[in-house]
Amino acid sequence: MATEITTPVFAALQQAASAAETATRTVTMPVGVPGFTLGEEERTVPVTEPPVLPINKDLEFIGKPIERWDGYAKATGRARYTADVALPGMLYARFVNSSVPHAKIASIDTSEAERMPGVKGVHVIETFLGGAELRDPSLEQSKYPVVRFAGQPIAAVAATTPQAAEDAAAKIKVVYNTLPFVVDENIARSANAPQVFPGAADQAGTAGGGGSRAGIPQTGNVHGPSVRKEGDAAQGFKDADVIVDAHYTTQVQTHSALETHGVVADWKPDLLTVYASTQGTASVREELAGYFKLPMSQVRVITEYMGGGFGAKFGAGNPGVVAAILSRKTGAPVRLMLDREEEHLSVGNRPSSDQRLRIGAKKDGTITAIQLISYGTAGCGTGAGCSGPAANLYKWATLHTEENDVFINAGPAAAFRAPGHPQGAFALEQSIDELAGKLEMDPLDLRDRIDENPVRRVQRQVIRTSEIWKSRNPKPNADSGIVKRGVGLSQSIWYRHLNYNSAAEVRVHKDGSLEILSAVQDIGSGIKTALAQIVAEQFGVPPAKISVKIGDTNYPPGPNSGGSVTTASISPAARDAAWQASQKFLASVAPGLGAKASDLTLSGGMVRSASGKFQPIAFRTAAAKMDTDQVSAQAKRVRDYDPKKYITYGGIDCAEVLVDTETGRIRVKHVFSVHDCGRPINPAQVTSQINGGVIQGISYTLFEHRLLDPNYGLMVNADLDKYKIAGSFEVPKIDVQLTEVYIGQSSTDASGIGEAAGIISVGAAIANAFYNATGVRIRQLPMTPGVVLAALNQPQQMMESI
Amino acid sequence: MNSFALADCSTVEAALSQLKDGAVVKAGGVDLLDRMKNGTDTPRRLVNIRNIRELRGIHATPDGLTIGPLTTLAEIAEDRGVRADYTVLADACGAAATPHIRNMATIGGNLLQELQCWYFRSADFECIRKGKEVCFAFSGLNQYHAIMDYGTCPSVAPSSSAVAVLALGGSVELTSAAKGKRTVAIQDFYVKPDANPHRFHVMADDELLTAIHIPKPAAGTRSAYQKYGEKESHDWAIADAGIVLEMDGNTCRRAVVAMGAASPVVRRSKEAEEALAGKPITQDTARAAGKASMTGAMPLSMNAYKVQLFPVAIYRTILLAAGQMERDPSATAVAS
Amino acid sequence: MPGHEPPNKDNKELTDRPRDAATPGGITRRGFLKGAGVTAAGTALLEGVQVFSREAAAATPENVKEYGPEPVTIALLVNGKEHPIEVEPRTTLAEALRIQLNMTGTKISCDRGSCSSCTVLLDKTPVNSCTMLAIDAIGHHVTTIEGVTEDEKMHPLQAAFVRHDAMQCGFCTPGMVMSCAALLERNPNPTEDDVRQAVSGNLCRCGTYPKVFAATLDAAGQMASKA
Repeated sequence: MATEITTPVFAALQQAASAAETATRTVTMPVGVPGFTLGEEERTVPVTEPPVLPINKDLEFIGKPIERWDGYAKATGRARYTADVALPGMLYARFVNSSVPHAKIASIDTSEAERMPGVKGVHVIETFLGGAELRDPSLEQSKYPVVRFAGQPIAAVAATTPQAAEDAAAKIKVVYNTLPFVVDENIARSANAPQVFPGAADQAGTAGGGGSRAGIPQTGNVHGPSVRKEGDAAQGFKDADVIVDAHYTTQVQTHSALETHGVVADWKPDLLTVYASTQGTASVREELAGYFKLPMSQVRVITEYMGGGFGAKFGAGNPGVVAAILSRKTGAPVRLMLDREEEHLSVGNRPSSDQRLRIGAKKDGTITAIQLISYGTAGCGTGAGCSGPAANLYKWATLHTEENDVFINAGPAAAFRAPGHPQGAFALEQSIDELAGKLEMDPLDLRDRIDENPVRRVQRQVIRTSEIWKSRNPKPNADSGIVKRGVGLSQSIWYRHLNYNSAAEVRVHKDGSLEILSAVQDIGSGIKTALAQIVAEQFGVPPAKISVKIGDTNYPPGPNSGGSVTTASISPAARDAAWQASQKFLASVAPGLGAKASDLTLSGGMVRSASGKFQPIAFRTAAAKMDTDQVSAQAKRVRDYDPKKYITYGGIDCAEVLVDTETGRIRVKHVFSVHDCGRPINPAQVTSQINGGVIQGISYTLFEHRLLDPNYGLMVNADLDKYKIAGSFEVPKIDVQLTEVYIGQSSTDASGIGEAAGIISVGAAIANAFYNATGVRIRQLPMTPGVVLAALNQPQQMMESI
Repeated sequence: MNSFALADCSTVEAALSQLKDGAVVKAGGVDLLDRMKNGTDTPRRLVNIRNIRELRGIHATPDGLTIGPLTTLAEIAEDRGVRADYTVLADACGAAATPHIRNMATIGGNLLQELQCWYFRSADFECIRKGKEVCFAFSGLNQYHAIMDYGTCPSVAPSSSAVAVLALGGSVELTSAAKGKRTVAIQDFYVKPDANPHRFHVMADDELLTAIHIPKPAAGTRSAYQKYGEKESHDWAIADAGIVLEMDGNTCRRAVVAMGAASPVVRRSKEAEEALAGKPITQDTARAAGKASMTGAMPLSMNAYKVQLFPVAIYRTILLAAGQMERDPSATAVAS
Repeated sequence: MPGHEPPNKDNKELTDRPRDAATPGGITRRGFLKGAGVTAAGTALLEGVQVFSREAAAATPENVKEYGPEPVTIALLVNGKEHPIEVEPRTTLAEALRIQLNMTGTKISCDRGSCSSCTVLLDKTPVNSCTMLAIDAIGHHVTTIEGVTEDEKMHPLQAAFVRHDAMQCGFCTPGMVMSCAALLERNPNPTEDDVRQAVSGNLCRCGTYPKVFAATLDAAGQMASKA
């Protein structure tokens, strides 16, 4: 134990360490938007921090569109995903899932399955993970986990081939005592609806968000309200000159990552190794170590490549735990990957929403009151709150929000790219547009009035002068033809979340090779490349030459990738480690170069003598002089330099749509996307993510819809065919403009972009463009031809000629 | 997917000899494998006709076209002759599914594609089509279902090529070992659910679809097909139209208006055809035909929008066939 | 060590290489699918495979080959090389490639032909390998993503995918590459609409399409200028 060590050396080390942590210096950092508001601010930072990084234009690798570090592996198919991991003697596992939406299981007979050829192990699930849990578990007596949705895993089989596992799974006999169920959230809200839980229940959030606060009241299936009141909203509405009052509904969307959830678990007596398709190697290890009461040192989680998560892939979950149990039982590695149907049903979704939103404003646009009463279903989980945009996008005098989760017999929701925000922004940003109309104000001018964020102000100026916005006819329904054109915009907002469980190690080898190690995983956003760029910048070596070793809990801890935390969390640790390693490197080569370490600097890939003792030497040549084969430095994420500063990210999406008023088809022609991404480490990768947010937003807005049969409670479109996702023809011209923003918060000053861009704002931008085109509001998602035609039929006769 | 034995046949004769004891024919396999993976179909024996060379190819004859049932949708969509003289068929094949599926899926398989109703496609629902009494769509989710002529089952005709074959007055050749060949007009090939809910076509278990015949269009014929979905990339039709116009100058001598996604069996609209016959093709006559096509429509609880959509699909496709309108950007792009 | 690999040499070279050097020697590599053509050598191989298969199948009436239901040994011609494998008749081509042949570049995502992650070329034609039986690939030349790379060198199309960052999580990327490679083989001078059509069955959940379009058009231009 540390307290027992009292040697003078140890005491000195401790003192030095704590002094280093508390010793600070004052630096001047760039703050603002280059070309608009760039200035400087002072920050007090730990002395261990590297020198302030200049803005991107003055750097060699950071801020440049460097090719994706693992582009070769991905383009050639060599990238090995969890679904591709094949270990010697590996078994294939398959779940048996509930075919009914609500039941207590009377009996499970696995005997026939166990006798099937190739079967090596069968497991009946003892605990279902991922849904809400009763506050008082004694309210429910059941031998097996109660089935709360169709598709809930009940048991699993491991066999020598996937076919054998499938055949055996079909032989497991489950006898259900079915219970009344409800899958319609409106019915679920009524007093005499079937109860999903016999008492109050809560779902924990994940590293990606979701879940609900504890202690929320629950009445029947309605878990809520979660209330927030700031000032007297009733008075705020009395003070208003104009009130917009509208009702919005949004659907349930499933994550539908192309790689399904799954793991390969290899249980050995001294080590459980799990290859997982996850956004958090750390969270998977934590859950498995906790579940099996193993020391963390005996659980290793590896995520070399992962095929998309979007918020749904944190923790081991049912596949992770069950595969580990089957591996322990059979003594063989076990691969358990979900199939597409299971992916839709049981591992997460974006909750629906039903929002009554009222906004009161003065004639000049000042908001006197915002009131949002929302209901939404996260299935048998919670997390349907959607008040983020209403509470945080604009300045208000008074605020009143009430969020309610409605339990239904469906799979639990999970965090999904900007939880709650696409729903909330769809309502808020349409109502703000409507308010602008009522006030006869330009939508950008109104936002200038109610949003003081200096970055958003810059972005609005960019939009205001853009061709797409200038082409907008302020008068709605100005086109006389059958196909009407419209332009609309919406803002987005996200927050600076950080995960301080972030560290990296940088190693310098005597041959000049460099490596960086961290448990952080690359979920497709390109953190491998970003880390390579950071090390490259420090040593003046091309990023492709850096060995990036991540996605393994054997390395220094890495953040779970959720809530846009990854780059902002890990990149400063990486830069600190790279800088500290470079200092150790200089100390290591100093004797060989016949110089003092304090006389040496490393810049632009050259070791230089400040006193001019020798001509600059290439880094690689100097490395040969190292006095050991390797030096390394590990650094953890230091706190943000000015943590009191309230920082939000956001941007504006401006959409041009064509509305065919006869077919009800909305075609998005063009999206101009202006987004705050802090200091973009790799603009090419950031642009890719924004493209993706825009396209996923279009898909959510126009097509996607989880459909549950109201009479039997089963999902009827659990595939990628009738669950409709935007494809190549649905992709508009997308112009992305990155707003480079310096905030003076860390040694890289990087931010995240996954949540803020596209997915939040595209829905409302399309809806506002639709209104601009037709003069009709659509307050319902998805905007399918059926919904569009119904909306157009309502207020006016569009179809007189047919 | 269940385990099965596969009899891989290289001649029609060989295949016919295998059609017994519940064996199921597999051509491209696209639709059958889907259903087997879903667990709705569990055949113990497949008769693989995929490698029967004589069933492939597009052959021009003095009377029209004979198309081997194993010809892929892509081959038909790309065929110059078909595109020029049988445009409606090339369009329908080129608008189906995805490029990759069109490369595998055969026209025979497309004509014999099972219903796409999600209840029918799920092993969890035992519906009237599977020998039970109940239809789940009437009281359930039916936004993509039929609006006309549905009787006991409102699942819509899934085959886009069938719409074109119907529009062109085509027929299919059926062959059995016992009875030899017979030819059935496409309108007599499909069976309405009221007549027999368990089998949507007239083929017997021992028969094989061995050819598709398309008569040569009369001089002055123009044709087109358009499919409307909720999206353009890979979607099912929510409305579609196969149009054949026999023109004298700008006067329409005879018109065929065929639809797929309106009813369980591909249908022609007599009312729409009469609205065009003997008239010039104009915006007005095309729209009048579209409107007439919905005579007798009885939408379900969730699909009234299709009654509005079909007339649009029809009038625009009439104008496209007549060369008076570009291909509709709201409709599915057609590969060529 | 599992979980890690050093950055590939070839990747590094490419990064360092000027763009116009992506096709060494100035020779077009459009012929990368040449193994898939019905050349004389190909035909010979084809017949060899068929003979092999006939032996594997039980003797039955003329013109009928019986397979299964038990596992049978068949030979598949993948990327120009013959591979004897044991499969059940129900084994799909995608499963056979991934499990029996350990060619995991071909992905399974929807397993119903709706997402085209499993795209391979059958002869020169892109198909969904999840929606065809392995047995149905007998006698055909199958090209997988592994066969597009020649001597560790990326095909110009793959290099363009990397250059344009036409990938995010990368799970759809092999399928996208296969679809676009087949397009370029068929149509060396495509329009953006042609590319959209070629990948209209390929789902990308990360939303990387704009860069897939750009990369494919760029690769077409590069290959044309080298031809």
